[in-house]
Amino acid sequence: MRVVIAEDNALLREGMVLLLTSAGHEVVAVAAAEPEILPALLAHRPDIAVLDVRMPPNFRDEGLRAALEARRQIPGLPVLVLSQYVEEAYAAELLGGGASGIGYLLKDRVGRVEEFLDALDRVAAGGTALDPEVVTELLTRRRSTPLDSLTPREREVLTLMAEGHDNTTIAATLVITERAVSKHIGNVFLKLRLPPADIGHRRVLAVLAYLNNA
Amino acid sequence: MRETVRQAGRATVQLALGAGLALFSCLFITVLLITAIGTVTLIGAWLLPETVLLTRRIAGAKRSMAARWSGQEIPEAYQPITGTIRDRLRTAIHDPSTFGDFRWMVADYGYGCLVVLALPLWLAGLPSDGVRCGLLGRRPVVLPLISRLADLDAAWSAVLLKPSPKALLAKRVEQLTQTRAGAIAAHSAELRRIERDLHDGAQARLVSLSMRIGLAKRAYERDPEAGRRLLDEAQEHAEEALAELRHVVRGIHPPILTDRGLAGAVRALAATSGLDVTVQADDLDDGPRAPVAVESAAYFVVAEALTNAAKHSGSERASVTITRTRPGLRVIVRDEGKGGAATADGGDPGGTGLPGMRRRVAALDGTFTITSPVGGPTVIEAELPCAW
Repeated sequence: MRVVIAEDNALLREGMVLLLTSAGHEVVAVAAAEPEILPALLAHRPDIAVLDVRMPPNFRDEGLRAALEARRQIPGLPVLVLSQYVEEAYAAELLGGGASGIGYLLKDRVGRVEEFLDALDRVAAGGTALDPEVVTELLTRRRSTPLDSLTPREREVLTLMAEGHDNTTIAATLVITERAVSKHIGNVFLKLRLPPADIGHRRVLAVLAYLNNA
Repeated sequence: MRETVRQAGRATVQLALGAGLALFSCLFITVLLITAIGTVTLIGAWLLPETVLLTRRIAGAKRSMAARWSGQEIPEAYQPITGTIRDRLRTAIHDPSTFGDFRWMVADYGYGCLVVLALPLWLAGLPSDGVRCGLLGRRPVVLPLISRLADLDAAWSAVLLKPSPKALLAKRVEQLTQTRAGAIAAHSAELRRIERDLHDGAQARLVSLSMRIGLAKRAYERDPEAGRRLLDEAQEHAEEALAELRHVVRGIHPPILTDRGLAGAVRALAATSGLDVTVQADDLDDGPRAPVAVESAAYFVVAEALTNAAKHSGSERASVTITRTRPGLRVIVRDEGKGGAATADGGDPGGTGLPGMRRRVAALDGTFTITSPVGGPTVIEAELPCAW
């Protein structure tokens, strides 16, 4: 895949380039400051953009804004946003325009190389990758909701679903059959009174929308 | 006419009370003389501070009486009389308000008897105003003069009891010294807490991480399976260290506050609080941002208040209102819970809990009030001065 990276920290930037090239991807451009991001994306039209949230010159949320702007100018551009910390509010903004091809992960997750590369592939293919910390926050903050009626297993399935995993991965993670996963998902949708959704990002969106408004 | 008479009656009572107080303070001057003589002869040195304290009480009574009549508070600026007998004596003598109070007391000895003028005014006013109002339909003239007398009494008291600029300054210095000490204590407690967090958390984990990588290197050829396990553990420790660092950073200065400013950060806070929170902070969306310290204090007040509301109040809902005021920023957090939040200023010098909030706000020269009657609701209000 052709990747554009935006990361101001040289150490992390080099590490990321190393990681991606060793996994067989091509880093076509590297942006070290916010003003370089959009031109790089427009010039190279990569398969995916990996953006840091906090970038020069202001060290606020430049990367996030750049991601939203890039998606506006290049509709459907897969964007994976990395950050030292995750905020539910930022996740909501990123997903506001649709969950397709959106990733939002803690930088820590890069250390789990296989999982990180898997998330990268998923986002590039139009899927979703949402950090477990965001999902946990979404799941735990409300009191007395239909979420309480879920069994522990159904909760696990819901969590993985919200993170953007497909049935195969969920089955592998929980060491159960895919049939069992489908059954649990059916129950979750029933208990949360969500319309039965198809696979893929629309399902994620339904789940996230539910969690956001719960 | 009836209202006029009632008003004149009230004024008379006011004047009579003033006279009573004047009489009392007149008697008190005798005590004063005894004290003075005692102090000079060094026998009754301990009496002086007590006498000054009593004078303050009498002056305080006059202040509240005058304030009740005129509706205008008369500020007071006393230095606290505490410490050893020497300290007390020194404060009692050096406090500029001491002289001010005695000056008033002597003056009050004179104008305190204004009430004697009320009697002839009543005698003259009742028939004359009765005729003017009852028969001629004119406005009363004489009886309202009694009110003017009470006004005069209150005005003179206000002038005499108003603290001198010097006293106000002394009080301000006293207050600043106190809040600065509080700020320094809170600051160093905060630094100690961060140091401890880093030492026990991230630092320890990094040590064990490095150790495991070292062991893995040794096991690399001999026992690859063990090496792999050690590396797995090392990675876990690295991730835990990162999580802890994130936690510490959030406690020092939440990143979202830098990114999004107070309004954005508080909205994010509200969304994750576990309560149904309405945030009113439109005032902040435009215009300049408050200084970092003010934003930070406001943020932590809201965070702490919402945490308390979610944990203890039993309320499902809360509201946060942040407005720009002329002198700064006003933050109000209100829940619909059962109230009864502890307001005692405990011994916790850190940044947590209600005392921590209070200190944090005081360090910025702000005011912090909490009303939490049993049965609720709890309302926490902080005013943080800053220039816009």
